Amino acid sequence: MKRKSQFLPVAIFLVILLLAGSPLFAGGTKEGEAAEPEGPVSFALWTQEGESEGVYQWIVSLTQEFMEKNPDIKIDTVQKDTEALREDFQTASLAGEPPELLWTVNDHAGPFTAAGLIQPVDNLYDKNKFVESVVMEGKTWAVPISSGNHLMLLYNKSLVQKPPETTDELIEMGKQLTKGDTYGLVYNQIEPFWLVPWLGGFGGKVFADDGVTPTLNTPEMVNTLQFLYDLKFKHKIVPPESDYGTMDTLFKEGKAAMIINGDWSLGDYASILKDKLGVAKLPKVSQTGKYPAPYTSGKYFMIAEDVTGAQLTAVKKFMDFVTSEDVQQRMLKTFKRLPALLTVLKSPEITSDPILKGSSEQLAYGTPMPSVVEMRANWDAMKPEMNAVLAGSKTPKDAALAMQKAAEAGIEALK
Amino acid sequence: MQSLSPQLFAKSLGEVGTTILFVLVAIIAIEFLLYYILKVKLNHVYALPFMLVAPAAIGLLLLVAYPIGYNAVLSFTNMSLRRFTVERGLTYGIKNAVENFVGVFTEPILKQRHFFPILFTTVLWTFIQVSSHVVLGMFLAILLNRPMKLRGIYRTLLLFPWAIPQIIAVLAWRGEFNYEYGYPNVILKSLGLEPIRWLSDPFWNFAAINITNIWLGVPFMTVVLLGGLQSIDRTYYEASEIDGAGKIYQFSHITLPLIQPVMTPAVILGVIWTFNMFNIPFFINQLELESSDILVTALFRAAFEYNRYGFAAAFALVNFFILLVFTLAYLKLTRFKFDVGTLVTATGKKRR
Repeated sequence: MKRKSQFLPVAIFLVILLLAGSPLFAGGTKEGEAAEPEGPVSFALWTQEGESEGVYQWIVSLTQEFMEKNPDIKIDTVQKDTEALREDFQTASLAGEPPELLWTVNDHAGPFTAAGLIQPVDNLYDKNKFVESVVMEGKTWAVPISSGNHLMLLYNKSLVQKPPETTDELIEMGKQLTKGDTYGLVYNQIEPFWLVPWLGGFGGKVFADDGVTPTLNTPEMVNTLQFLYDLKFKHKIVPPESDYGTMDTLFKEGKAAMIINGDWSLGDYASILKDKLGVAKLPKVSQTGKYPAPYTSGKYFMIAEDVTGAQLTAVKKFMDFVTSEDVQQRMLKTFKRLPALLTVLKSPEITSDPILKGSSEQLAYGTPMPSVVEMRANWDAMKPEMNAVLAGSKTPKDAALAMQKAAEAGIEALK
Repeated sequence: MQSLSPQLFAKSLGEVGTTILFVLVAIIAIEFLLYYILKVKLNHVYALPFMLVAPAAIGLLLLVAYPIGYNAVLSFTNMSLRRFTVERGLTYGIKNAVENFVGVFTEPILKQRHFFPILFTTVLWTFIQVSSHVVLGMFLAILLNRPMKLRGIYRTLLLFPWAIPQIIAVLAWRGEFNYEYGYPNVILKSLGLEPIRWLSDPFWNFAAINITNIWLGVPFMTVVLLGGLQSIDRTYYEASEIDGAGKIYQFSHITLPLIQPVMTPAVILGVIWTFNMFNIPFFINQLELESSDILVTALFRAAFEYNRYGFAAAFALVNFFILLVFTLAYLKLTRFKFDVGTLVTATGKKRR
């Protein structure tokens, strides 16, 4: 008897708990939606611009300026690393709470359109006034903020008089400059973004002509990996280990004669090294006589799929503000970053400034970074193998083979 | 960066305020409902206990049971980046589950490594960690468990790694493993030795992860074991001394058996925590070397870097069962029983 009387309350208890659980979930999602249409509009902006270059701080000041002009709009700005931004945006979308606006690189559009997380922006800006944007399946998916985003050779003029023309010269100069705690050349040895320019210089591409079939197991890739391996283990002109932060610090401290870094860093270096900062093209690959081809992409706005109504209007207003001539001009001056607005891009300031001139010369040899989702699989396949080669734990040949296999498996898993 | 002003504080409070209010109102409503049914209608003896347990039970249900359930559901899907929603081809079904579970054992989980090599790394990592935690923890606990000057200060210092938020400690350690600027390499260089590539060399990266986790894990074990040592009655030692027992004999025949009730749950917890330790292997392994990945970090990469959601969910369940089997086996092996207020020691004696 006693057992029976215990069972009933336990059952009731459990039923109530289950019932109690469901409204809590429903309540959680409803709240956010209900708040939107009325009163002040707010939206979240995620950006991958870094704090160390000061661009993130600049974006925050831009949003503050914008909010002062538009008191009924509120923007919450969040900074994330490039890869973290992509992963977190996907996860947040899955949870139904993505940020409304992204300020990021073009190749994020690949996975985001594949999963249906961003919306087309064809009607949100005047395409004729800007550089080319991300177009897939006949639709435009992003509003350009800046162009370029390309790697180039930057050098410290107090250590290097004349930048190297060829890789042989680079190695020769590197050997002379590497002594004590100073290195001839530094670059980010972790990210394959620093590998692809050389791949281009050796005559290779990551995709076949169809733009989606990976071509990573090629003699060109093997040569590229061998070249990077030799810089480190044979010629010893690069540090045994260096990520972005390390190479950046070494160059700023004057402990690196040359650095391979992107246009995003120009403003920062120019303010530290002043007139000692030199900008040049990446040197021609001696073996092939070709110039390296860094990826070009620029930065773009992307809008989450479900943003509509007043929020979309607010987002558009902010995008218009950032792509206005005034702000584009300021971005050019402060960060030496090439603008997306054509009128500013063609302004005489760019040709008369030695740093910007070097940057735009390199841009001419660049190649557009693929934004298809298959590129994701390529990046993920290249990164561990590049690291393995630079750790000395895999031969370039094995690494290229493994890259290709991993990229194919990655693309298969996307299907 | 915005500074932490009272306005900002008030603003953040305002943002979470509605949610907190909602939770409070919901809990009060549930309490009244339970009171009405259990006390007024049924007049049950355990009406009050049920009411007291209710808020915590709901919290656990929402924060623990629901995600586990959702994970189980996900393992029955073919979810990936191209099939993110049902409209885009997401399906549920046994076939997906079979594919996912078979895939865990046959396909590479990362780019190159399969399940069993990663499991081996994980077991090796767990074994190195828990054994060093117990050995070093026991050593320090015995050192501290005797009258000495400044004992309080030593104990506080030992607890330091514990007091720092883990993620901050890990990122600080990663900085120390920097080739150019890290502390160990600076010392090595000044001694005229070759600096170590902590982040790119597979062996040294694994070593770096282990060093960090030993630093983090030993204090916990020390404090737990010290508590256990202090609960052992001194008279046992005095009696054995009279009978002529030496220090080693005392340790193996008095300390070890009597510390068992404290050590067993600490070891189980240690194994589970280490097996599932995410922050240290993930953040120290900045280069994403697959050789340093353990099951949970591989799981994270499969789900959130490579977007194989269905596959990763199945993988998570496999991890869960490994730990479940381990825990049950260990409990049986040490004959440990969970019983309120009672500890059954390995010798079978009941102590209250």
